[in-house]
Amino acid sequence: MAASAIEDRIREDLQRRLPGVRDLALENFVQTAGGWSHETYIFDASWKEDGRGVRRGFCLRKDPGVGLLRELSSLEEQFRVLKALESTPALAPKAYWYEPDAAILGGPFLIMEKIEGDVPNPWSKAGKQVYAEAAARGTLPRSFVEALATLHNLDWRAAGLDFLGVPGPGRDFARREIAKWERLARESSAEPQPVLAEILAWLKANAPEAQRLAFVHGAYRTGNLIIHEDRVAAILDWELQVIGDPMYDVAYVLSDLNREGTPLLSYVVDRGFFVAEYERLTSLEIDFEVCRYYDVLYMMRTAVFWISASGLFAEGRSKDLRLARTTYALPSVLDMAAKAIGF
Amino acid sequence: MRENVIGLRFRVIPARRMLEEVIASLRGVIAPAISAPYPKTQAYMAAVILETLARAIEERSDVAEAKRRSIERLFAELGALGVGAMTEARGSVADDERLAKLVESLYADRERLGEARFAAANRRVRQTLRDLLDADLKIAASKE
Repeated sequence: MAASAIEDRIREDLQRRLPGVRDLALENFVQTAGGWSHETYIFDASWKEDGRGVRRGFCLRKDPGVGLLRELSSLEEQFRVLKALESTPALAPKAYWYEPDAAILGGPFLIMEKIEGDVPNPWSKAGKQVYAEAAARGTLPRSFVEALATLHNLDWRAAGLDFLGVPGPGRDFARREIAKWERLARESSAEPQPVLAEILAWLKANAPEAQRLAFVHGAYRTGNLIIHEDRVAAILDWELQVIGDPMYDVAYVLSDLNREGTPLLSYVVDRGFFVAEYERLTSLEIDFEVCRYYDVLYMMRTAVFWISASGLFAEGRSKDLRLARTTYALPSVLDMAAKAIGF
Repeated sequence: MRENVIGLRFRVIPARRMLEEVIASLRGVIAPAISAPYPKTQAYMAAVILETLARAIEERSDVAEAKRRSIERLFAELGALGVGAMTEARGSVADDERLAKLVESLYADRERLGEARFAAANRRVRQTLRDLLDADLKIAASKE
């Protein structure tokens, strides 16, 4: 569906959801380049209500039916998570509506609030510079750690987040994660990948025990955070959250995967500062051995992302060239994982 | 030089050179002129893909042959390590599938094999996996 047709359909849909308003108009309508699982549209809406003008920003995420995570990603689950988080101090956008009817836009969609701020791309030269300058000022690194600690300190049962599934004791969390990604790999590829097979077998044989369960974001890094006035204004990308080992998020922050060419974790925070501040705010001691294990799991996960992505392109289900490009990214991440486990 | 149907003579541009020209145009002309973020990203991605394809044009046949030989050597040597029974799936089974099954079988039978034999076989398998990765990296290594 063309962007202009989408815009028209969204305006009609909003009019249905806001029946008392007049002169509804959309402005600054843009499809963002970010997001691999969903099409994302940002826009402002203005209308007249009770004789006065109202203006509000929205973000719409639509399931294109060919998302990178395939059936692992659910907009309905995202909506439930965002609704559950509204009663907590977690920095997340408010969710307004979830629409399962694919007839309206060609796929289910979620409408949430547009948060003021920017999401500098940490892999771009300009984005790296933004984060490096913010790191030097010092406010954003502290906010980065605080936002993560807030998630890990949440009473997830009280917030009603146990619908996500609660792992059993011991190694169950790690094994569940491995099984999830292995399933996606199998669904995405007609050909087994022998290097990935070795990495998966090693992960299964070395799964650690979770010392505590927490609400885990699953992809906490710059690029998934809206930054406003040097602070984290909102955490985005609510697709991979789980109840699990908080070291899973910590490992992602510590990972080399998210700090290409800089000593700063996630391009923005000094390692020593992150470790000390995270431990102070959560009263958890970081287990670096377990984090190294989860780092390998993330490398495996990234490899599976690329297999899924290139599979969608190869199957003719997506024309997004970013997905085609991942075919060539796969060996590099398999190489990182192979070196991490000794070959 | 070749002659086209209306008799004009022109120089055939090698595929790699042609790709490099297209890449330069995408990176230097087309992408910078696009303001909308999604199409702009698509233009840059097209350039990155074409860069990799340009390398693949020259190297793909060598890589495929090297990988096949590496897998053959592995299966020939594993018998000597006492894990020959796991290497029986041959015939129509593709090399990658055969190797992935071998990896899974080794871990599944680890207890029965004993730690020393498992470690020796796993080390040898990993050596081949490293060869395969290095071959893939030869093509995939990016200039980004």
